[in-house]
Amino acid sequence: MASMPQVRHGERTSLTPQRSAWIPIITFVAPALIIYAGFTLFPVLKTIYDSMHVMKPHNAVEFVGLGNYRALLTHDVVFWKAVTNTAIFSLVGTVCDVAAGLLLALCLFAKVPMARFWKVVWFSPVLISYVVVGIIWVWIYDQDWGIVNTVLRWIGLGSVAHPWLGDPHTALWAVLATQIWKWAGFNMIVFLAALYALPADVLGAAELDHCGWLAKLVFVILPMLRPTAVSLLVLSFVGKMMIFDVVWIMTRGGPLWSTETVSTYVYKRAFDWNTFDLGYPSAIAVLWFIMILVFVAVLTRLLWQHDKLEF
Amino acid sequence: MQKGLVPLKKITLLLFVVVCSVITGGPFLWVAALSLRTTPEILGRPYGFPLHPHFGKFLKAWTQSNYGQYFWNSTVVVVTAVVIATLLGAMAAHGLARYPFRGNRALRFLILSGMMLPPQMMILSLFQIMFSLGLYNSLSGLVVVYVATQLPMTIYILETFFSHIPQDLFDAAKLDGYADFEIFWRIALPVATPAVFTTALLNFIILWNEFLYAVVLLTDNSKRTLPLGIMFFMGGHQIDVGMVATGLMITILPVLLLYSCFSETMIKGMAAGAVR
Repeated sequence: MASMPQVRHGERTSLTPQRSAWIPIITFVAPALIIYAGFTLFPVLKTIYDSMHVMKPHNAVEFVGLGNYRALLTHDVVFWKAVTNTAIFSLVGTVCDVAAGLLLALCLFAKVPMARFWKVVWFSPVLISYVVVGIIWVWIYDQDWGIVNTVLRWIGLGSVAHPWLGDPHTALWAVLATQIWKWAGFNMIVFLAALYALPADVLGAAELDHCGWLAKLVFVILPMLRPTAVSLLVLSFVGKMMIFDVVWIMTRGGPLWSTETVSTYVYKRAFDWNTFDLGYPSAIAVLWFIMILVFVAVLTRLLWQHDKLEF
Repeated sequence: MQKGLVPLKKITLLLFVVVCSVITGGPFLWVAALSLRTTPEILGRPYGFPLHPHFGKFLKAWTQSNYGQYFWNSTVVVVTAVVIATLLGAMAAHGLARYPFRGNRALRFLILSGMMLPPQMMILSLFQIMFSLGLYNSLSGLVVVYVATQLPMTIYILETFFSHIPQDLFDAAKLDGYADFEIFWRIALPVATPAVFTTALLNFIILWNEFLYAVVLLTDNSKRTLPLGIMFFMGGHQIDVGMVATGLMITILPVLLLYSCFSETMIKGMAAGAVR
């Protein structure tokens, strides 16, 4: 636990703690620590504890060890459906998200007129509540008067028009599109910052070599954006593994579990099924958290390893 | 890249940019138009311009559809939580950045790892904990939970900023006889005002939009925050598209107002707060 007292930027070693220094330290750190420990760390530990129990009416709690986990992994069809959906959502969503952000950032970097204005417009969905975004998109997908179907009918593809969120085959993709619409602007901003931080002399050298813009993009700019892309991919992936709001608001996991994600399933088992048992959903949450950690470790390792080989 | 662009390429690029902007901004303009039209008008022509804008709809939503109450609840909860989280977070960040004590690094790791935790890991047990504390279905309970969720990010951003303030400033203050808390309150905090403001702004946006904790921890209609209020309204008034649109506008107007004033700060802050 005890780590060495570290010396930070411009700090003097003479300031190593004396006994009296503990009083200000406690005054500064304790209030935040108490709230954080009480309402974040303790709940996490309690969830892990709960996941090994079954809760029955009248406050009866029964210890079942790993029983919940066993049932979850072997008998629960809906859980595996939710895992598949979340995996599709996370993988496809992450790639599309980051690619769209990169494309938008490159447009602005190519000195398009009024770049500042476009940037502000493209970033705006990031700040809007998922409740608002979800409801707007439910209307956009509406069978009768939604803009998607209106446009399809207008260009003569009326036969393709259908209730996008009501069809189990298209619902997940429709929700995914909304998700990309909301987050592309965020990735754009981070890419844009990275683009403007690129060393000017390297870009200039490419120009001196009469390197065409496509070659410059593929051989000079994209390789240098790699670290940014990796951190955005991981970040976006983690966010999507936990996705709840957008699915809950647009489809509630339906129709026929076609958009059920792990998070919505946890919520349903805990609060919609009226079973009193918070043990089983806790087991889902814990298992999924472990899976997220594993995924992140693997993903980071794979992507960074590749980096090392390349340079 | 920009030098080699012939006019045709430039026009294609501009066209693409405009299409992207219509896809991004269009839905907002559409909802703004819907919010000023009545449901019969909308059902007749969903994409019409509000030729005879019904501004009275906002008043009606505010008084008759309980939106005033929801707006008030959201404001009270979010503003209180942001003030507390920013203040406590700044204190903790100052403590971690300025005092190299035993276990400093372990404590930092413990707090910052909170940014990686999925809400599902807390929400089920928080429901029980709040119930036994008598804080279930209360706005103050929601405030405490919001403070706890926002502390890691607040500490993360502010600690980075605080640790870059030159130590000489603090040494000088100490020589002048400033007490430890005075140094924080009268030196560190004023110097860090831009970072504190950005963090507060970020926390405000995140909590204003928060849905999951609110839906689990609140049940009374009179206690609902705006996102819950709209969802409830959506369920009860499936047909009344016009009124729902007015509610949506009421929800996003404060955010849009802040965004139009501080767009650069918010854009930079979001990028800084999320990339760790």
